[in-house]
Amino acid sequence: GGGCGGRRPGGRAAAERRGACGGEMAQCVQSVQEFIQDSFVPLVAALCSEEAERLTRKNNLGFSELVKPFCRLTSEVHMRDPNNQLHVIKNLKIAVNNIITHSPQPGGIRKLLNDVVSVSQPTEGLVTNVITAGDYDLNISATTPWFESYRESFLQSMPASDHEFLNHYVACMLVVSSGEPEPVEQFLKLSQEQHRIQHSSEYAYPKWFIPNTLKYYVLLHDVSAGEEQRADSVYEEMKQRYGTQGCYLLKINSRGSNRGADEQIPDPWSQYLQKNSIQTQESYDDGPYTVISNKNADHLISDDLDNDIQVDGLSNNFKAHPLQLDHLSDTSSSFDGTDYIKTTSSLHESKKTSSGTPHGACLTLTDHDRIRQFIQEFTFRGLLPHIEKTIRQLNDQLISRKGLSRSLFSATKKWFSGSKVPEKSINELKNTSGLLYPPEAPELQIRKMADLCFLVQHYELAYSCYHTAKKDFLNDQAMLYAAGALEMAAVSAFLQPGAPRPYPAHYMDTAIQTYRDICKNMVLAERCVLLSAEILKSQSKYSDAAALLIRLTSEDSDLRSALLLEQAAHCFINMKSPMVRKFAFHMILAGHRYSKAGQKKHALRCYSQAMQVYKGKGWSLAEDHINFTIGRQSFTLRQLDNAVSAFRHILINDSKQPAAQQGTFLREYLYVYKNVTQLSPDGPLPQLPLPYINNSATRVFFGHDRRPSEGEKQAATHISLDQEYDCESSHQWKELEEQVVAVVNKGIIPSNFQPTQYCLNSYSDNSKFPLAVVEEPVTVEVAFRNPLKVPLLLTDLSLLWKFQPKDFNAKHNGETKELACGNDMIGAEVIAEFLINSEETKMARLKLFPHQTGELHILGVVYNLGTIQGTMMLDGIDPSIGLQAGKFVYNGMSVRGRQELEIQGPRLNNTKEEKTSIKYGPDRRLDPIITEEMPLLEVFFINFPTGLLCGEIRKAYVEFVNVSKCPLTALKVVSKHPEFFYFWWKYCCSNTTESLSF
Amino acid sequence: MAVCIAVIAKENYPLYIQSITTENELKFHYTVHTSLDVVDEKISAMGKALVDQRELYLGLLYPTEDYKVYGYVTNSKVKFVMVADSSNTALRDNEIHSMFQKLHNSYIDVMCNPFYNPGDCIHSRAFDNMLTSMMMQVC
Repeated sequence: GGGCGGRRPGGRAAAERRGACGGEMAQCVQSVQEFIQDSFVPLVAALCSEEAERLTRKNNLGFSELVKPFCRLTSEVHMRDPNNQLHVIKNLKIAVNNIITHSPQPGGIRKLLNDVVSVSQPTEGLVTNVITAGDYDLNISATTPWFESYRESFLQSMPASDHEFLNHYVACMLVVSSGEPEPVEQFLKLSQEQHRIQHSSEYAYPKWFIPNTLKYYVLLHDVSAGEEQRADSVYEEMKQRYGTQGCYLLKINSRGSNRGADEQIPDPWSQYLQKNSIQTQESYDDGPYTVISNKNADHLISDDLDNDIQVDGLSNNFKAHPLQLDHLSDTSSSFDGTDYIKTTSSLHESKKTSSGTPHGACLTLTDHDRIRQFIQEFTFRGLLPHIEKTIRQLNDQLISRKGLSRSLFSATKKWFSGSKVPEKSINELKNTSGLLYPPEAPELQIRKMADLCFLVQHYELAYSCYHTAKKDFLNDQAMLYAAGALEMAAVSAFLQPGAPRPYPAHYMDTAIQTYRDICKNMVLAERCVLLSAEILKSQSKYSDAAALLIRLTSEDSDLRSALLLEQAAHCFINMKSPMVRKFAFHMILAGHRYSKAGQKKHALRCYSQAMQVYKGKGWSLAEDHINFTIGRQSFTLRQLDNAVSAFRHILINDSKQPAAQQGTFLREYLYVYKNVTQLSPDGPLPQLPLPYINNSATRVFFGHDRRPSEGEKQAATHISLDQEYDCESSHQWKELEEQVVAVVNKGIIPSNFQPTQYCLNSYSDNSKFPLAVVEEPVTVEVAFRNPLKVPLLLTDLSLLWKFQPKDFNAKHNGETKELACGNDMIGAEVIAEFLINSEETKMARLKLFPHQTGELHILGVVYNLGTIQGTMMLDGIDPSIGLQAGKFVYNGMSVRGRQELEIQGPRLNNTKEEKTSIKYGPDRRLDPIITEEMPLLEVFFINFPTGLLCGEIRKAYVEFVNVSKCPLTALKVVSKHPEFFYFWWKYCCSNTTESLSF
Repeated sequence: MAVCIAVIAKENYPLYIQSITTENELKFHYTVHTSLDVVDEKISAMGKALVDQRELYLGLLYPTEDYKVYGYVTNSKVKFVMVADSSNTALRDNEIHSMFQKLHNSYIDVMCNPFYNPGDCIHSRAFDNMLTSMMMQVC
């Protein structure tokens, strides 16, 4: 053994440190070097007796969990390399795991990773970066913790492979409690057990680094319960037997479990175990369990197990691997929709329970320090000397064999396989990935040495070993091994202090290609990509990193593809000149993959981020698509308001989509809206976006509809809604009216005079409140326009109004009643069905019947918006397009809602202030004052000539009818040419109808 | 040959996009939009002095699995993007170049129309026909 170096006291920071670096890919708190170092750490197995496990269980922790927060060394360590050079190891981390004799199931890993990602959602206060690129200001989350946790879990859950040794166990801790009747016997049992697991052919898993694994004997002593003297004496015996360097007495549980008063002790486990509780559904009985994959073995073991437990309490509950699924069928059904919701909810529960129960309740701060010291002691005195020795041995073997075997091997090979160029291009060797060495093959020894060097941070030596190994493997055409060596050669070249050589990215590329295309091992390829992308990014080679990430997206894993695409998108935005559009596009691709993987929230987040780039830039097709997806995702996540606004966007933007697509949009919108309204049936009526209303084209008509001309009788008016407005004639009429009023009032026009306007439109003077008469209808013509290529059906269409009753004679104000306060005051006409064809402008005439005097305000229209059935068929487009979009049956679904009528008045242009600013006058078209009953005159011409000769005299009849109950007096007839007319009266029929001929 | 042709305003909003089929329209829109990043990159890569006397044709912007995207930028920074089927290997670079020049000429014709408001979407039958013929040409 060599000099194991200095020891620095303390280092609670070790645990806290990890918490601080919730590192991230785009902006990583953890440096790349640290990330890679932590991805490959020496693995130590732990095998506990049942009694020992019981002691740690008091703290609600397994043994491996107990030591987990203390597994990073805070002090530097020295060791000597084979050339006797001093080598410094900094910041070393080890991993202590329970033995699991079952390789993790791919389905289980997939589920685990899916859960890890779905649990990690952006928090409210997540830091967002504002990135300005060109005319874009983008809010982008600065960190992607879900990717971080995915990557961590991915690397941890990687199954050990035969072509590399990095995640093979270097050592094994045997843990026994001092409270047991025969601790020494127990140690022997455990030792045999370990030997059996490693060397019997029953277990292909876990994998061990070298045949003689370091065994480290740990005596666990419960301070609060056990006898100290006994523990000490057992420890003495152990020291005799295993040497001082091979065993340890660890005292824990100094605090009685019942004392809960001083809860000040920090809980370093929480940050690890939250993750753990997600990873392992039964994390707390995750003891020394070995898992058996095959039934026979199970039988065999449990037989002698029973005895064991009875006799000496050797614990060997062979539990299921945490990554093993209970029902494998679950995985095959993937994670779509409902399934996903179940898993997350159960996850949340398990998270709650785990955070509810405190860990380490029986441990004092001294105990924490003891555990920390134990790990240090183990690493300094046990693990590192063992590794150092092993490296030395391997090195010696290699040197001794080099002379002989290398030359022999290559000579024979050359002899048999003809002249071969040693450095063959990978592509030519495609068929040879099958070559596998036996575990102890001499060819693998150099790889073993390289891996050991790598684990203890001796990257120079590791690099040269990997490099040699790579050549050997390539010569043997052992492609899997060659790829592994290439991968690690690249990584160790990068990690070499002082960077003597540039990062060989092409090594990585070859490794990835080999893993993926020749070995068909996507997991290994993914690891390569994650490592390489991180390294490239640290060197600001963002486009290379992005290309790498994108290349690994494939059909076999949606989750992986989604995460990698998202990271690629982040690469694009982090480039020196940010590629905003590429970012957005890859975000959309990521969102698509997320949604396929059942990660709805992540999908929504991706689409929303991409939306920032597309919004309002004229790319309507893309914008519609994103809005539609956002609407869908929000709907499934029950974010109905978001869903509604997203769908609304699609419909109100002048959509260039084909009719079928628009029909789908509309139906989805209606469906979502229906859900919203069902949730809150008493809420105010929603504002509907469709159809458009051309507010300024609204016309208002006061009075009854004119009776149409029947036979020779012809209504003597041009004013009706069917008439176009004629500026000139209406001006003439106005003048005439003014003249007659002046005559009646002895030449003066009263100041409150207002020319009669039966029909108000955008040309008429709408600055004053118009007068309407009680019991006479008010007709409002609303101009609807359907912007879509599918017809819209409005049902139960009527006006929305507000009325304040006022008696204009008696001067008392009636209380103001608002909005549809009964038909006794205002009657409203309802149009049962109003169909607007695609891209059609259509007028709807709606009537109100005021029954009381007062002030009426017409606010808007209220209607059910719906589609007509079978739209798709009408357009001659395959109906299946529409059907696949949603699982709902659209039976002319409709939603009740409203739209306001808001008419902007004319622009004011009189005063200087009005001229310099933009001001609009009021428009009171829709705010008539309902006055008391008035006479209402209707006039008809009978036999009115349409053409006259000059000087011809014809007789025509004019019929005056007062249709109101109010008497009409002082009728005057005005004409611009009074000299043309001669009147004589013929009083006729009733007292309200008079005829006049002239 | 070309499956989608787009004219993009200086401010990067589309003045005109036409694709040969409607089924992949959305995809083409995304492709064209994303290619603008590459156009920007290519332009900014050239020095200020070079911008004035540069070649308007930018060449292949990037290849995707099924398509190749070509770019062309006028002096007024109006971009033409053409998406071509990558299975069509017969298509040579200089053919693409001449297609762009034809496209530029018809664009100029559109601009010469006194009733056309620069910056508006292009609604011109002559332009439509021109582009349709370009997309049909070799098919």
